Amino acid sequence: MDRRNFLKAGGAGFATAVLGSTGLISWSPRANAATIEKTLYVTDGFITQPDGVNVYFRGFSSSSNLLNVPGEQIVVQEGDTVRIRIVNTLGRSTSFKIDGLVDSGRISGGSSRTVEFVASTPGSYLYYDARNAPYNRLVGLHGGLAIMPNGSNNQLYDGSPTFVQQYFWVFHDIDPVWHNAIRNGNTPGSRYSPRYFTLNGLSARPPGAPGAHDPTIDAMADPRSALHGHVGDRTLIRVLNPGLCHQSVHTHGNHMEWLTENGQVRDDVWSKDCIYLEGNMGKFDAIYPFEPPPDAWPPVTTGIYPMHLHTEMSQTAGGGLYMFGALTDIYFE
Amino acid sequence: MGWRKRSSSSDSTTDTSTTTTSSGSMDGGGGGGGGMGGGACYVYPDAPATPGLTNADVTYSLGIDMNIPLAMDDGNTVTMWGFSDNGGNMMGGMGGGGGGMGGGTFPSPAMRVREGDIVHTNLSVGMMMMHTVHHHGIEPEYRSDGVGHISWDVANGTYTYQWRPASAGTYFYHCHTNTVLHAEMGMYGALIVDPPEGPGRLFSGGPSYDVEAFWVVDEIDSSWHTLPWTAGTCGGDVGLNELNPDYFVITGVDGSGNSAMNLPPISATVQRGQKLLARYVCAGYHPQRIRFGGLTGKIYSSDGRPLPRPVSVTEIRACSAERYDIIFEPTSRGTYLIETDILHWVTGQVLGTTRTSVTVV
Repeated sequence: MDRRNFLKAGGAGFATAVLGSTGLISWSPRANAATIEKTLYVTDGFITQPDGVNVYFRGFSSSSNLLNVPGEQIVVQEGDTVRIRIVNTLGRSTSFKIDGLVDSGRISGGSSRTVEFVASTPGSYLYYDARNAPYNRLVGLHGGLAIMPNGSNNQLYDGSPTFVQQYFWVFHDIDPVWHNAIRNGNTPGSRYSPRYFTLNGLSARPPGAPGAHDPTIDAMADPRSALHGHVGDRTLIRVLNPGLCHQSVHTHGNHMEWLTENGQVRDDVWSKDCIYLEGNMGKFDAIYPFEPPPDAWPPVTTGIYPMHLHTEMSQTAGGGLYMFGALTDIYFE
Repeated sequence: MGWRKRSSSSDSTTDTSTTTTSSGSMDGGGGGGGGMGGGACYVYPDAPATPGLTNADVTYSLGIDMNIPLAMDDGNTVTMWGFSDNGGNMMGGMGGGGGGMGGGTFPSPAMRVREGDIVHTNLSVGMMMMHTVHHHGIEPEYRSDGVGHISWDVANGTYTYQWRPASAGTYFYHCHTNTVLHAEMGMYGALIVDPPEGPGRLFSGGPSYDVEAFWVVDEIDSSWHTLPWTAGTCGGDVGLNELNPDYFVITGVDGSGNSAMNLPPISATVQRGQKLLARYVCAGYHPQRIRFGGLTGKIYSSDGRPLPRPVSVTEIRACSAERYDIIFEPTSRGTYLIETDILHWVTGQVLGTTRTSVTVV
């Protein structure tokens, strides 16, 4: 299925294709485990990058006529039975894997499979296509899944520091030459040279740029990415990296409380303004505390600050266009 | 709301000062123009009065120098950009991408203040370009944070950043205009916050130290060093997604050979029983791995915050802009090689290594 024409037909269609889920994650704990059922459609198409280049992607999409990169954010509770039906609408094989939880194995073109697993360990996970690694994952087949501790709505794991709201930040880096090779069924043979960088599937647009302030185009305006809070609104961020680049995640306004690294709870919680995010499926969890910016004089409780990767090559698109990369804004309301 | 970031539809300053073509000069409205050195897009020139300005305990006045020669061990010279400490001279930075009035160094002049000081950083920029100062790790009022798209890029005037550091430790400051290029070009300097009692103790209640070393490790891609300050902002592929460094520096000195081996305060000499504090800054973009040549140190703080418990290390992996404060208490005489590998951000391949030393007598 080729969505080039669909995507070119109108901005609205394109926008819908990209923003597949709602903004802030809402979560209410349950007294009992449940069975959670989802259907994800493996689709493909083109997404227009900030410099106008259309790049091929595949996604775990919420319907057969969408292209969601990343796939929708899934939040379940410890002990839940999670049943996910994968409908492969493409002519190529795919798979659905979460390290430590489930692996569908090969799902051939045009077929469907249902996987089922118990959400055994609270934490943040990447779901992804493990076939043809890392290429199917790089071309867009990935998304975030959170397992909340049993009965909790404010902890990452039992006994963790608490939060009042939570977000996913899924960072990605994109080499269009590789994407085109994968589209054509080839193994990329060129040196990996990422040219686009996204947060939850979107690049940023600085004020004044076409698409700026549009939450379906601009990562700085995307409610899934931009943090909004009042002082005291401690915010858990689940950071996942399906891309290949090692990144430095840097927040302004507050340091982050660094809770986990690649799924392991850290011995101590360090307060950091930059956290190392490994490439090739690295991840961490951190809390942005929304404390009054400590070095302001006179003291303040409101303001707006950026989050950006300090691996500054990732702040560009197409070899230039600073601020059209992986960054967003943080609003102290 | 007054603190909301500027909107292209409601803020006339942004409208008039943001050029979305690469046709060259900007129209000069609003914040006073700029970008005549080839055209700048998505910049937000201004130099207004600082909200809430009060008297400072410490003031730094910075200018701009776009032509700082850096001699490398191979005999080549690479042009760096930086801040000068002659910011009172408004002629600074009027070189249109070329000269400037000089006075700058690489790295830029160090700032050293005490916890609780009210600090002013006055940045003066001429009419031909734009820059900011972001005090990295310092978390001030947003209009003193130096991020162009949220406040402004300083142009054709002087802006005063006001801040009051609350936590002793190691920071650095850098330009945040077209950051990918300007910080790589060398527009950064050390920023040390001492506890109220002054140098000699890392933070109140923390360890004391006798000798201090500064390991600020960075990589340079000399192919970037002929670009104008506006490069890439209007589009076009100028290669800013590919940092392929050919020089590796430590605290402003070519670190690939022996130039920094015996050059305090990069290298250090300590007596047995003394405590050495090394302030390490990952000033490049690629990840780094710093190895202590057989010494074991203790990390007491990172990114300007004490660790709950110090951690003993013989090497550290770091990502861009991280800082680590490490105390060494060596017990054996000798010369210890301090090597920092710069690792490619995708492959992890060692791109280069800087070297300095700690001598224990």
